[in-house]
Amino acid sequence: MMLEGKTALVTGGTGGIGSAICERFENEGAQVIAADLTDNGGAGTFRPFDVTNEAQIIETFDDLSNSWGKLDILVNAAGIEIEETIENTTLEQWNKIFAINVTGMFLTSKYALPLLRKSDAASVINFGSYDGYIADPGLAAYCATKGAVHALTKAMACDHGPEGIRVNAICPGYVDTPMLQSFFEGDGSGGGGGNIESLQQAVRDVHPMRTYGTPTDIANLVNWLASDEARYASGQLWVIDGGLSAQVQQMKL
Amino acid sequence: MVLEGKKALVTGGRQGIGRAIAESFVREGASVIVCGRGGRPSDFPDALSWHQCDVADPNQTAQMIAAIGTHDIVVNNAGIQIEKTVADTTDDDWDLLMGANARGVFNVCRAAIPNLNPGASIINIGSISGNVADPGMALYNASKAFVHGLTRSIAVDHGPDIRCNAICPGWIETGMLEAGFDLAKDPDLARNDALARHAARRFGQPQDIANMAVWLASDASSFATGQCFTVDGGLTAASPLNPGLF
Repeated sequence: MMLEGKTALVTGGTGGIGSAICERFENEGAQVIAADLTDNGGAGTFRPFDVTNEAQIIETFDDLSNSWGKLDILVNAAGIEIEETIENTTLEQWNKIFAINVTGMFLTSKYALPLLRKSDAASVINFGSYDGYIADPGLAAYCATKGAVHALTKAMACDHGPEGIRVNAICPGYVDTPMLQSFFEGDGSGGGGGNIESLQQAVRDVHPMRTYGTPTDIANLVNWLASDEARYASGQLWVIDGGLSAQVQQMKL
Repeated sequence: MVLEGKKALVTGGRQGIGRAIAESFVREGASVIVCGRGGRPSDFPDALSWHQCDVADPNQTAQMIAAIGTHDIVVNNAGIQIEKTVADTTDDDWDLLMGANARGVFNVCRAAIPNLNPGASIINIGSISGNVADPGMALYNASKAFVHGLTRSIAVDHGPDIRCNAICPGWIETGMLEAGFDLAKDPDLARNDALARHAARRFGQPQDIANMAVWLASDASSFATGQCFTVDGGLTAASPLNPGLF
């Protein structure tokens, strides 16, 4: 067991990828809080957690200070997607996605720091995306938030590395989650209202590995970054996408 | 005319991108020497000097630079492409491709650097394929990554007197591109698919690359060094997976 004796909090912990992370952490011996808006009855101890609610974040880490006394692993996985070009994105939508994907990561990390310092090997794992490097159509605000996450990750790694806190970002490609399904059904993707079943073979064929990812694939890497095996890994953006972004666009010739 | 009084060497300028760069430099007032492995092309403009030289050969390259003397601009454009995976690549393929694309750039830079005037600009032609892989082009992709790395090293080691940058073209319309489409099952469909993947909705022209080369050669870019500038109509800004095209 790679995480025995460790304590972990996962924001977005009942979402597609977050659930898989909580399950893996528990299987590896960690105590896990699945911090999210709604309970899904999955792995980890559910705790209501809204990353835009500063008072609730403070209260959560106050409680953890009393119960655990330290935090070894923080996974910032809460995030939303808006499937629009900038022209069709309202200011309200723009502010909302930044509030969750970027400001939420800032607030959660900020108030977790005192507890992370009490760990002898703390690891923070942020959720970036390959969309922080290259664009998917009709996802402008989402792409921008993920670019911000990448920069924030490096900044946090620089600032808090001397305190023994590692900070990395995971940049998934296409992973089979409700968010991906929503992307395929959105107008912005140009998928013509198709669903993942109708598109799945085409999607797979574009990947060098001829498959898209599963939440388990992502949880495997999160687990490694959370563990002490990754003790020299910090400040990096870990793309995990089946080789998708290693290629130029795959034209049909 | 932004290159007035400057003397430039363009390698591999018989046709395509190199030729467009050489002609643009002349229009901007530079005196230009073009080199290639063969003799002077019959249709070559009088304004362009021709020097027969295989840049893969260090002796030939050194002799050419000695003949040129001091100069201000070097464009390492000479390069070849071999469409093979690693498993299919022969030793001869390696010598041929790495000789031109990697060793050739090194040979020219090593010979030219002591002969460059202060404020000189070296422009290497890299490729988007040095950043992301084109299938079945293993050595070509790797050779362009070498060019990108060498570009940064030269900029770091030989500043402030010499600037060095790379241009990374995407799909540029040359005879090679059309030949590729002709091999497709449905050439029109293939061409339209490829166009749809470019934010610019067109392929590049050699002139698009030449325009960037003029800027990098000119004093207008005097703070730009050590960088690889992509000019690809937006191709690599987008994900390789575009459900709208399925």
